[in-house]
Amino acid sequence: MTVDLTPLSDSDWNAQRAAHLLARAGFGGTPEEIARLAAMGAREAVRSLVYFGKADNKHLEPFDHSGIHEPGLEPFPESRPAATDRAKKSGESLGVRAKASGNRPLQPVTNKFFYWLRASVLETNRVAYWWANRMLTTNAPLQEKMALFWHGHFANNEDKVRDYRKLLNQLELFQARGTGNFRDLVVAVAQDPAMLCFLDAGKNIKGAPNENFAREIMELFTMGVGNYTEKDVREAARAFTGWNYVDTKFVVNDDQHDAGLKTFLGRAGNFDGVQIIDIIMDQPVTAEFMAAKLYRFFVREDVDAKAQAALGNALRKGKYEIAPFLETVFLSKDFYSDDSIGAQIKGPVQLAVSTCKKLGLKAVPGVPDFNAATAALGQRLFAPPTVAGWAQGRSWITPGLLLERGNFARDVLFPDINFIPPDRYNAAPDIRQVSQRIRDGADITAATSQAEGVVVAESNMAADRDEDFNTRYASYRGWQMAIERVKPIPRATAQLNLSAMVRQNKLATTTQAVDYFLDRFLHVKPPADARARLVKFIDADLGTSELAAADTYMEDSLRLLAHLIMSLPEYQLD
Amino acid sequence: MTKHDDCDHTLTRRGLLHAGAATGIGLATAPLMFAPMAMAQERQGRILVILELSGGNDGLNTVVPYADDAYYRLRPQIGIRKEKLRKLDDHFGLNAGMVGMEKLFKDGKLAIVHGCGYADPSFSHFTSMAYWHTAAPNSGEPYGWVGRLADAMAPKAPANFLINIGTNQSLAVRAKKHVPVVFNNPDNFQREAFFEEKAVLTSLSDPGKMANPSQRYLLDIAKSANDASALVRKAWSDYRSPIDYGITDLGLRRVAAMINAGLPARLYYSSYANNAFDTHVVQNDLHGRLLTYTSDALSGFMQDMERIGRADDVTIMIFSEFGRRVPENTSLGTDHGAANVMFVAGKKVKGGHYGQLPSLTKLDAGDNLLFTTDFRQVYATMVKGWLGQQATPELLNGNFKPFEMIA
Repeated sequence: MTVDLTPLSDSDWNAQRAAHLLARAGFGGTPEEIARLAAMGAREAVRSLVYFGKADNKHLEPFDHSGIHEPGLEPFPESRPAATDRAKKSGESLGVRAKASGNRPLQPVTNKFFYWLRASVLETNRVAYWWANRMLTTNAPLQEKMALFWHGHFANNEDKVRDYRKLLNQLELFQARGTGNFRDLVVAVAQDPAMLCFLDAGKNIKGAPNENFAREIMELFTMGVGNYTEKDVREAARAFTGWNYVDTKFVVNDDQHDAGLKTFLGRAGNFDGVQIIDIIMDQPVTAEFMAAKLYRFFVREDVDAKAQAALGNALRKGKYEIAPFLETVFLSKDFYSDDSIGAQIKGPVQLAVSTCKKLGLKAVPGVPDFNAATAALGQRLFAPPTVAGWAQGRSWITPGLLLERGNFARDVLFPDINFIPPDRYNAAPDIRQVSQRIRDGADITAATSQAEGVVVAESNMAADRDEDFNTRYASYRGWQMAIERVKPIPRATAQLNLSAMVRQNKLATTTQAVDYFLDRFLHVKPPADARARLVKFIDADLGTSELAAADTYMEDSLRLLAHLIMSLPEYQLD
Repeated sequence: MTKHDDCDHTLTRRGLLHAGAATGIGLATAPLMFAPMAMAQERQGRILVILELSGGNDGLNTVVPYADDAYYRLRPQIGIRKEKLRKLDDHFGLNAGMVGMEKLFKDGKLAIVHGCGYADPSFSHFTSMAYWHTAAPNSGEPYGWVGRLADAMAPKAPANFLINIGTNQSLAVRAKKHVPVVFNNPDNFQREAFFEEKAVLTSLSDPGKMANPSQRYLLDIAKSANDASALVRKAWSDYRSPIDYGITDLGLRRVAAMINAGLPARLYYSSYANNAFDTHVVQNDLHGRLLTYTSDALSGFMQDMERIGRADDVTIMIFSEFGRRVPENTSLGTDHGAANVMFVAGKKVKGGHYGQLPSLTKLDAGDNLLFTTDFRQVYATMVKGWLGQQATPELLNGNFKPFEMIA
C-alpha cells in the first residue's frame, strides 16, 4: 500500500471533503460550519484547524471546582487497609484522628477514606462533562480531538489514580501541548503525577526497580513491542528510579535514583529518564510507531509496513512536531481517497458529541447522562479499560453495542422521564439498604449485615468482619459526605427543534426531508431500499407527504425519523 | 459431523421457540431425548465456558507450593504462610479466600494444570494475551482460537453459537464465519423503540452489494443483533437463582442464564476484565480478594449448573496471560512473569493435579518459571477430550497431546 501524501488541490475541494475533514479533525459539523470550511481553499481549511491558536474561544470557561480536596488527604493511601493501618499506628490518617476510646475508633478515618473515593469519582464525572462541552462548542476542535487521542494513548484511569485533580491537570497538558512536539510531550507525561501514580513509578527505587513504568513507556507510548529486549526494560527502569510525585507536583528523589552506568538500546551511560526518552526518540521505529498510530486514529485502520515507513519518515523529518505532520496528513490525497472517506467506525465519545453537533445543540444534555451513556457504549472518559487505552475500529461495535447506539440517540431525542441523576442517587442496592436501615434506627452492625436466607459467599461474609470500623457503613457515609460537597451536574434535556430546520431549508415534501436529514447526519449514504423505508415511514406517521400540511405537528415524526437514521449501520461511520 | 451440527442446531432452535425457556429444561440436550445417538454425537450438547483472568494472575500465590522452601526464600514478604493456606495435600495449598475452589478440588471436580506457558514468552499483557487468544504464540494470527473452533464445529455459522460476555469483543472469539454474540448487560441488549418504528428498525439492506467494507461489517453485526437480542433478554428475564455468586459474578451468572434457557450456544467466553490481576504493588490483600471473587463466582456457577440439571454438560476452563515473576519485588508485589497455573472445573472433569510444577530454583534469566506444559495441551483437552472435536494443527498451530482429564 502506498500512502499518497501529495496535497489535494483547491480545485478538488468541496463540501463533502470539508465535512470529512471536520469529522476527523474534530467532532463533525453543522451544515453552516461545513459551508464555512468549504468556502476556504483546501490548504486554508486544513491550516485553520491545525493551527488553532487564533481561534476565538473566549466563551469557554475553566473547570469549576467543587472544592472537595483537603490537604490532610495527602498522601492518599493506596487502599482502605493502608488507611486504617496508618491510623492504628500513628493515631491519625487522612487528616482525621482515631477516637481515643469507644466503639469503632477508626470509623471516622474509614468514612473519610470512602468520602474521597466517591468525591473524586463524582468530580471526575464533572470534569468529563466540562470536557465534552468543550468538544461540542470549541472553535478549535482539533485541540480537543488531539487531547482525546492522547487520553487514549497515555491511558490513565480514575480508578487507579483516584484524584480528579491529577487527571484534570493531565487533560490540560494534552490540550495545551497536544499538537506540539512529541518528545517534549513524552517527557511531560513521564513527569506527570497522574501517570507516575498510574504506573507505580513511585515504587521504582534504586536497587529495586519496578519495571511497569519503563515497560509501558516503550511498549505502548513510543516504540511498540518487539523493538527492545527485557534487559532494555530493566536498564530503563533503573534510569527512572527516584521519579515520584508529591500531591500534584513532580519530584526527583535523588537518594532513590540509580545514577550508575546503564546499557540501553546499544548505548551506555549514566542515563536518567529524560536521556532514556531521547534515546528512544532516536530510534526510527519510534517515529513509525507514532505516525502509524496517528494515522489509524485520524485516517483509517489498515497501515502496512511500507505505509508505516513513509509516515514515520514524515514525522521524523519534521522532528516529531505533531502539527505539521497532521497538516500533511489532512491535506493529503490519501486522506480524501475512497478508502478513507466513511471508512472509520466512530468511537462512542465521537458518536455522542457529533450527535449533539448534528442536532444543532449548544450544550451536552444532562439527560441522558453523558458518562453513563458513553460508558454503556464502551468509552467512558477517564476510565480507559487498560493502560493500552481503547481498542479502536471494529472493536467499538458488537451486536449489543450497535443496539445501544440507537438507544442513545433515542434517549437524546425522547428523554426518559424516569431518569434519575446518577450523581445524586446511589443505585447500589447494598448502600441503599444500609441507608434505609440506619434511618429506621438500626445499629451499624444490624444495618450493615447481609440479608438472610441465601447462601452467603465467602467474600460477602468478609465485609461484615471487623471491630475497629465498619466498611459498609463507611461506604454509605462516604457517599453521603461526597454528594454534600460535589456540585450537581445540570440536567437540562436536549433543546431540539427539527421543525425549524425543515422550515429554514424550505423543505416541501417528506422525501426532501428524508434527504435533508440523511445528508445532515450521514457521511455514507444508505442503500435505496433503506431510504424508501424511511420515506414510507414518515408518510404514514404524518398522514401526508406534504410538510406544509403537517407543519404544526411534525416535530415528533421528525424526531422518529432522526432516531431511525441514527439507528442505521451507516450512522456509525465517519 | 458437520451435517449433524447444523441439523441439531435447527432442532434446538425450533425446540426453543416452541417450548420457550420457561420450562427450565436445557433444550440443547433435547435431541438426546428424541433419538439415541452414537458415541460421538452424545457430545452434541456439551458446552465449553472459558474464563479469562486478565492482568497476569500470580499462580504461585494462588496454588501455593508451601512444602518448597524456595518459595518462602524467594518471597520473604509476600509468601503466604503455611497456616494461612487451604491445604490440598502435603505440597500445595490454595489462597485463603478460595473456599469454593477448595471444595471443588476435594470433590474431585477441579483440575489444576501446572507450569502452563509457551516458548519465548512475552512479558507484555497485550501481546501475551493475544498469544493465548489466538493459540499462536509469536505470530500475527488474526482470528481467535475460540472463533476458529466455532468455525470448525459449525461451518455454516448458525446464529447464537458463540457468546462472549463483555463490553468488548475478545480477540479469542473473532471468527472467520461466525459473528459472536457479545453483550455485557442483557437488559440493554435491545432496541428501545416506539411500536411504529419496529418494522423499519429490523429491516436490513443486503450487505452483499456494498463497496465499503466497514458498512458491510456493520450490516453483518446488525443481523446478528436482530437474531440474538430477543433470545438473550428472554433468557435473562426468565432466570431466577438463589445461588450467591459473591461480589462479582464475572459474567458467569449470565452464562448460566443462557444455558438455563437452552440457547444453542456451545461456546461461552467471559473475563475478569481490565487487567485486574496486575498486582505490582502491595498485592496480598488485593490478590486475596480477586481470588475470593473468582472462587465464589466459579463455585456459584457450578452449583447453579447442578441446580438446573446441566452440570454434566458444562466444563469451564480458566487461564491468565502469564504468571508473575518468582521473586517478589520491593513494592510487596510481583512483576510480569511466564509459566502459570490453569484450572479446569466440571462434574465430568477428573479433578487433581496435571502437568508438573516447574522448579523454583531453576529459573530463566529473568527469574521466571520455565514452562512444563504448553497451554495448548489444555486447549486440546477441551477441544478433543471435552467437545469431541479434532484438535487439528490448524486450530492450535501444532500437535498437542490432550490430558486424560475428562471422565
